[in-house]
Amino acid sequence: MTLRRCIALTRAGITESLQFRLGTAVTLFGNLIYLVLVYFLWKSIYASSGVEVVNGMSFTDTMIYLILATALFNFLEMFIVWDMSRSIQSGKIILDLLKPMKYKRYMFWSYSGSHVVLFLLSFLPTFVVVMIVTHGAIPMGLNLLYFVISTVLALIVNFNIEMSVATICLYTESTWGINIVKETIVLLLSGASIPLAFFPETFRKIVQFLPFRAVYDIPLTVLLRKNGSDTPRGLLTLLGLQLGWAVVLTILSTLFWNHSVKKITVNGG
Amino acid sequence: MGRTEKRRRRGLKFYLSIYRKILVQDLKSKMSYRADFVISTFGMIMVNLSGFITFMILFKNFPTINGWDYYHMLFLYGFSLVALTPVQCFFDNNWSLRYAVESGDFIKYCFRPINVFFYFISEVFDVKGLGQLAFGIGTLVFAWSHIGIPVTFMAIVKLIVFLFTASLFMIAIMNAAAATCFWIRGSGYVMVIMFRFKDFAKYPTNIFSGIFRILFTFIIPIAFVAYYPSLILLEPDNIPVLTYLSPLIGLLFFFLSYKFWLLGVKRYDFTGS
Repeated sequence: MTLRRCIALTRAGITESLQFRLGTAVTLFGNLIYLVLVYFLWKSIYASSGVEVVNGMSFTDTMIYLILATALFNFLEMFIVWDMSRSIQSGKIILDLLKPMKYKRYMFWSYSGSHVVLFLLSFLPTFVVVMIVTHGAIPMGLNLLYFVISTVLALIVNFNIEMSVATICLYTESTWGINIVKETIVLLLSGASIPLAFFPETFRKIVQFLPFRAVYDIPLTVLLRKNGSDTPRGLLTLLGLQLGWAVVLTILSTLFWNHSVKKITVNGG
Repeated sequence: MGRTEKRRRRGLKFYLSIYRKILVQDLKSKMSYRADFVISTFGMIMVNLSGFITFMILFKNFPTINGWDYYHMLFLYGFSLVALTPVQCFFDNNWSLRYAVESGDFIKYCFRPINVFFYFISEVFDVKGLGQLAFGIGTLVFAWSHIGIPVTFMAIVKLIVFLFTASLFMIAIMNAAAATCFWIRGSGYVMVIMFRFKDFAKYPTNIFSGIFRILFTFIIPIAFVAYYPSLILLEPDNIPVLTYLSPLIGLLFFFLSYKFWLLGVKRYDFTGS
């Protein structure tokens, strides 16, 4: 019964995202140009350094890491903070709260459709292009399966970060401010803007224990078989860390939401 | 007929006094959301801080980029931050253009006897952009003193003129990106993509080669947001022609984006929504 509701939401999400085909096409094109910028920047950085490998990352590794991080970012990106604050302002949130489904679950599943579409239309093509261009620099094997598992966990972690931050919006009216703080912290500390391998030792040690890494760094590390993820032990540590954060953040964000929703004030609606 | 005559005669003074009045109203309404103001300012500081940390991490691993050392890169970085302030402070309302057009609220701007572009843009002044300005000036001064560029009256004049020049390019890019909403529904992503490109303004353009260099110089002119204008101070013995031409190119880009914006408004009138 619940499953059927969830699938219905996924299907609605898929149809909805397919409506904006032009938007998707332009976004893909824009990303392509963005990746060209990233390529040129790192190419000249590595050319100036005169060494092939810096901190265990070759130019190809860095490129794959950053390109796929961008692709993952596009695929995982959610606008829950914006959606929620808009529906608070318009009063629509009352209708969502009255739905015969927990609000959090409703949010998750209504986003799942766009995740499916973006995965197929944005992430997969990027992945194939990277695979062809780098002539098999991405190891092909069981790591692909682990990558998929890791990405699903990343999605859950990301959703719960989003949800917790969106809950803060119930207290303040500053959507832009809160959203930008979240985005900046997540992008920097997850390794999406610069690979974590380049971080100074102490900084990296701290970041290692934060949940943000579970969003971009761990899936990519697992995919590239870096950082000991080619041994069963290293792999289990990374996936275990992700799973741990997924569980902890799910509990925390649910508690925070359940506590806050009682205090909600909606003007009008 | 008479109205257009009148409109034409209105000079800079008239528009400045109007701008001041609208600005005061905007600031008053912002002050009523104090928490939002504080959090947004904090957010802006975080953005700049994170950009700075990324920059530092990069330089810890790679001491030079294409012959540009740390302080020269820092100069370019500070220059880009200052040059990006006007687009943030004065042209922020472009981000709401899409909503105004789609909801039909935009029609109110067309009924006033003043320039539509001016009226729409002047409605919002983004205070948090000032944090970025402070950050940029600090970085610029720090880099300037370490490179040892002589502080003369002419150097300061050059800096101000070329910072002003550089700011025109990002304004033009964002005007054009925002105006796409007159043609495409839900065109927010165009602005988002264009806004992301600005992150690359702080790197020397000579890292690009071939067709992409042309693309990022003349089509999406991020090369002019910091690189070309800053060369007037960074490489006084070897100034490229494009640096000298940048003020003119900047004005041209701004003018074109303004015309494109107004073209969209005209189209909006015709749809009669």
